[in-house]
Amino acid sequence: MLIFTLRRFSLFFFTLLLLTMLSFSLSFLFPGEQLINLTGQISASPEQLAVLANEYQHHSGLLGQYISYLKHLFQGDMGYSMTSHLPISNEVLNRLPATVELASVALLVAMFVGIPVGFCAAIYHRKAADNLILTIAMIGYSIPVFWLGILAILVFSIQLGWLPSSGQISLLFEIKHITGLQLIDIILSDSPYKWQAFQDATRHLILPVIVVALAPATIFMRLARSAMLEVLDTHYIKAAKAKGLTFSQIIYRHAMRNAIIKVIRDIGLQFANLITIAMVTEVIFSWPGIGSWLIESIYQRDYTAIQGGLIVLSSFIFIVHIIIDLVYAALNPLAREPRHGT
Amino acid sequence: MARDKIYLEEEFPTPLVQLWHNFKQPPVVMIGFCCFLFLIALAVSANIITPYSSVENHLDHLLLPPAWSDDGDVSFLLGTDNLGRDMLSRLIQGTSLTFGLSIIVVIASLAVGVVIGSLSALTTGIKSSFLNHFFDVILSIPSLLLAIIIVAILGPGLENTLWAIIMVLIPQFVHVTRNAVKEEFAKDYVLASRLDGASSIRILRYSIFPNIIEKLISQATLAQSAAILDIAALGFLGLGAPIPMPEWGAMLANGIELFYIAPWTVYLPGLAILFSVIATNLVGEGMRHALKVRKEN
Repeated sequence: MLIFTLRRFSLFFFTLLLLTMLSFSLSFLFPGEQLINLTGQISASPEQLAVLANEYQHHSGLLGQYISYLKHLFQGDMGYSMTSHLPISNEVLNRLPATVELASVALLVAMFVGIPVGFCAAIYHRKAADNLILTIAMIGYSIPVFWLGILAILVFSIQLGWLPSSGQISLLFEIKHITGLQLIDIILSDSPYKWQAFQDATRHLILPVIVVALAPATIFMRLARSAMLEVLDTHYIKAAKAKGLTFSQIIYRHAMRNAIIKVIRDIGLQFANLITIAMVTEVIFSWPGIGSWLIESIYQRDYTAIQGGLIVLSSFIFIVHIIIDLVYAALNPLAREPRHGT
Repeated sequence: MARDKIYLEEEFPTPLVQLWHNFKQPPVVMIGFCCFLFLIALAVSANIITPYSSVENHLDHLLLPPAWSDDGDVSFLLGTDNLGRDMLSRLIQGTSLTFGLSIIVVIASLAVGVVIGSLSALTTGIKSSFLNHFFDVILSIPSLLLAIIIVAILGPGLENTLWAIIMVLIPQFVHVTRNAVKEEFAKDYVLASRLDGASSIRILRYSIFPNIIEKLISQATLAQSAAILDIAALGFLGLGAPIPMPEWGAMLANGIELFYIAPWTVYLPGLAILFSVIATNLVGEGMRHALKVRKEN
């Protein structure tokens, strides 16, 4: 397990290195002066620019520039936003938690809905239930997410008036910013209206989570269905049947555990897709996350913000990949070392 | 007089013909395939069959509901939008933008991806390892974020979003091609032609490509549904097609403010996107099913 972890971390390191190279080269590709794109100091005087050029080793070779860029990154300095003139790292820290909250709740919902439904489909293979689930799955991942979001707002917020349509929490509640994750902050806060605030935040969370989770949930359904079908076809299931176990015993004790491992392996790949969906959803629901901030910074040509957002969002995805890989390896001995048999 | 077959002839259909035989079995897939062909026909003949021009304003028919509602007018079958433009004409014209362009995008990225993918399958050592990791990094960046970055470099506009989506799709094709080529290269028939003295390029051209083309087509359908959704999403965010263009995503964004008084301006483009993505996905599904059946036999 140790070697596996180390190998994963070295890969992670390598990936981050490539990512910083990509983001560094972006500062050359974006329109405008490279140094200004990198630092975001759009209204700097010539003297300040000279200081910055010295700081970023602008006159040495490309490698030197890249290394000094890396040094700045390690100190948490990603430059200043071209529009708000605030440090990018502050802006990101303010907004990333909202995205993390939305994405992780949606991922959990998608898993806990999608995987069991997929198992059901596999158990009723080629029956009415299976066909119904496959049809729903097909529609679910074909639906354009912005359209779904608008429809959800129209039906549940405007016509039925059940759920709020935008934002993270009602402005009436004042919650101190501790971790940035709204739900955890509310629990940690000592406001007398804690419970009401919690309810309100949950109500704000429901619609965006459903919109984000729908497409990944349908993909998990299909993954779970094919994993379960594969497992039900194996010899050890036949052996269990021959042993005289009942069908539910086979499913719960043998098939489900083995099938779920196969699904977990693919969850990481779906996460980038989920973040894409979350970015659009944030725009529609005015969710104060990093996705809506990034799209906003495109409209305003805030190139420094785009570079920072790329690094932070992609590293978040890589970290989730690693966590899922480690969970997978912990659950499945075969993934750690081949000597555990085939 | 009919001539019976005198000799017992064994026929070996090419992989593509085999694929077609298996593909046309399930009726659902055929329905999807017909819808797909219908959309292609619409996209090609959009300019000829639309009743009005997509930008023509009918100022005395603003926000007309579809013909089946009481206030509708049958000469505007699907109603009009806030500037009195005929929705039906705009939707049909939009087919050639959103759906038609997605096909072009996929073909372009397929071509580039296959070339890079087969080259990377042929290389070994550090070079190939670097290429693999590089594309894996690109693959794990959210596609929309990557497209947005490329749009930021090139500037907004329909043409630039197309370039962006082409570049976003290339790594997927590289990945699939590389894996498929490597898998085929390990097989015996490749060894046989290698012993005949064929060069790697020749093996690729005559032995491997005919055998992996169906995998590429199946990946292409997946990529196409993603491309439709991405073109529409960028149009919706205002980064793609400019507002007067009848691109489905931009039409949807245009209708949002009127959603409450004229819901059809939002329902219809959304349904059009949904319809075309489902048709594409059905074709892709049928393709994968056919591949699976072929593998089992």
